Amino acid sequence: MAEPRMRDITMAQAIRTALREEMKRDEKVILFGEDVAQYGGVYGATTGLQKEFGADRVRDTPISEMAIAGMAVGAALAGWRPVAEIMYCDFLAHAADAIVNNAAKWRYMSGGQFKVPLVVRSPAGGGAGYAAQHSQNLEAWFCHIPGLKVVMPGVPRDARGLLKAAIRDDNPVVFLEHKAHYTYKGLVPAEEEVLPLGVAEIKRQGTDVTLVAWSKTLTFALEAVEVLAEKGISVELLDPRTLQPLDVDTLCNSVAKTGHLAIAHEAVTFAGFGAEIVAQVTEHAWDSLKRPPLRIGAPFVPLPYSQPMESFVIPQVADIVQGIEGLLDGTRTGAR
Amino acid sequence: MAKTDAALLLHFYEDMLRIRFFEEKIRDVMLPQKLFRGSSHLSLGQEAVAVGTVHALREDDSVISTHRGHGHAIARGMDMEAMFAEILGRRTGCCRGKGGSMHLSDASRHFIGENPVVGSNAPMACGLALAARLEGSDRLVASFFGEGALNTGAFNEAANMAALWSLPVLFVCENNLYAISVPVEKSSAILELENRACSYGLSGRRRSGMDVMEVYETVRGLAEQMRAHPAPVFVVFDTYRFEGHHTADKQSYRTKEQVLEEFRAHDPIHLLERAMIDDHTVSLDETIAYRDRTRTEVEEAFARALEAPWPDPKEALEGVYAPGPEAAAASKGVV
Repeated sequence: MAEPRMRDITMAQAIRTALREEMKRDEKVILFGEDVAQYGGVYGATTGLQKEFGADRVRDTPISEMAIAGMAVGAALAGWRPVAEIMYCDFLAHAADAIVNNAAKWRYMSGGQFKVPLVVRSPAGGGAGYAAQHSQNLEAWFCHIPGLKVVMPGVPRDARGLLKAAIRDDNPVVFLEHKAHYTYKGLVPAEEEVLPLGVAEIKRQGTDVTLVAWSKTLTFALEAVEVLAEKGISVELLDPRTLQPLDVDTLCNSVAKTGHLAIAHEAVTFAGFGAEIVAQVTEHAWDSLKRPPLRIGAPFVPLPYSQPMESFVIPQVADIVQGIEGLLDGTRTGAR
Repeated sequence: MAKTDAALLLHFYEDMLRIRFFEEKIRDVMLPQKLFRGSSHLSLGQEAVAVGTVHALREDDSVISTHRGHGHAIARGMDMEAMFAEILGRRTGCCRGKGGSMHLSDASRHFIGENPVVGSNAPMACGLALAARLEGSDRLVASFFGEGALNTGAFNEAANMAALWSLPVLFVCENNLYAISVPVEKSSAILELENRACSYGLSGRRRSGMDVMEVYETVRGLAEQMRAHPAPVFVVFDTYRFEGHHTADKQSYRTKEQVLEEFRAHDPIHLLERAMIDDHTVSLDETIAYRDRTRTEVEEAFARALEAPWPDPKEALEGVYAPGPEAAAASKGVV
């Protein structure tokens, strides 16, 4: 089979491509959120879509996160496929009632009478100097809620393919994009591609250690893999891509191959999603582990503003490199 | 009591009796015998709002309700056996035993369901109404809530959104005077509740919620207007909650005398009966026959529900997610 024709595009373009393709394919797909229409989204992910699909299907809302999310639930219950944007994932706290109490529960509580096919897109993450209220990584909150699916793409190809799957899914999906990552470029097939939710991808094959990373931290991990390779350490880099559902099989198979597990994520380590990955592997692949797993995440602090402090808190390439070296040579100091 | 045709009045009368006897069964039999779990929120005294409002709507209009929603469900024509079975936690319940008293729903009747998070259903109503607009349909959405919900952010965000986008949401405020224990005068900065609508440029009405015909005529007029010119409407029905907030509420915040003398003196079912007898729509004997027949209907629904099987505990694991496209996805990673 011929290799797919590829285009080098940014995360924002990949997301926009997915939205455009799905809106063309299915007239039930509608978008709304703060500044998404005329302005095209504060990160430009929806630029031009109102012009292309009209003001009925692409709508600017007031600053009303409760109403945006609740309205998405109602429209989904009525058979539409709303994609609601919440401008910063921190503001999902306002929208949480609709997402957590209504979207996630309506099918179950009704004994399966209803389905809730909606996507909530929201920029997460730090690294751009927005400080503590505009920089959090809250994926663990939503992974803890039965009824939700949670996606955090790390490269444009995954962003496009997974967003398309999320829109087609008959369940509520929280789709978290990294705000400092919208301009990150990567190859995306020119042809349509839908990537299934719940399937991890091995981004780099390796033999010494399984490194799990997602969202923007994946790009740091990709660099770390190169640095470690020069030091003679062969890293298998796994991106779960969707955190809920989590591809436990691929994860455990990788650890069975390497015998070591490290997880790198930008969120606070304590009660972060890395803890769930550690638990899954220790429960299902304990015998594969040669050493205790390692979590590389943020210390238990809100994200500071000033650049040196922010970079100190967010795990960087060097943190991943040092963490894995320590894991393999036995000098690790544990999660910070 | 407003005038209307006899058949309609009798239809309303039957539905109000169904709600009354259904909830009295919960209070008088299910509660003492501990036949339900958690709590149940009775709408005794509020039957006229449920029946008058719901019957003024079309069958394809959506209704979204609150924790105090048995009446709305019955007025929507939900099967009382399935409702009892649900409250009993049986497999044949309308939600297969997953919802209980606070989460009754029936998709086939566009009864989207009860939403017991106060204020939370108002934004959902906007989404349901947006769907109707996008479909070019003149369907409406009725969103019920108590006066306590007026103070939530969700209600206020939804009201603004609905007005801004001309969404056909009928916001129905059932002002039963108490948000659990807090009286409306201690929760609302203004007591002219209908004026809350002004902030959003939507029209507000306030009517008695004890006269079913007044409720019906009010909503019928509003619905007609909303179908012709899609826009949200806000209506307050003043009503009384005869019972406590829920079945275990000792009601320390109000006196028995107040409930008996003030509230029960305005019983919407007695009011309707008196009006129908005065109008010679029915005789006293006929009202007794109606009561007997409806009570028997409720008894039989309850008895059948009691016979229903319990769910297999493992059914708890079913129905969290709708089957998604990835279920069919090949492991090669691309669908």
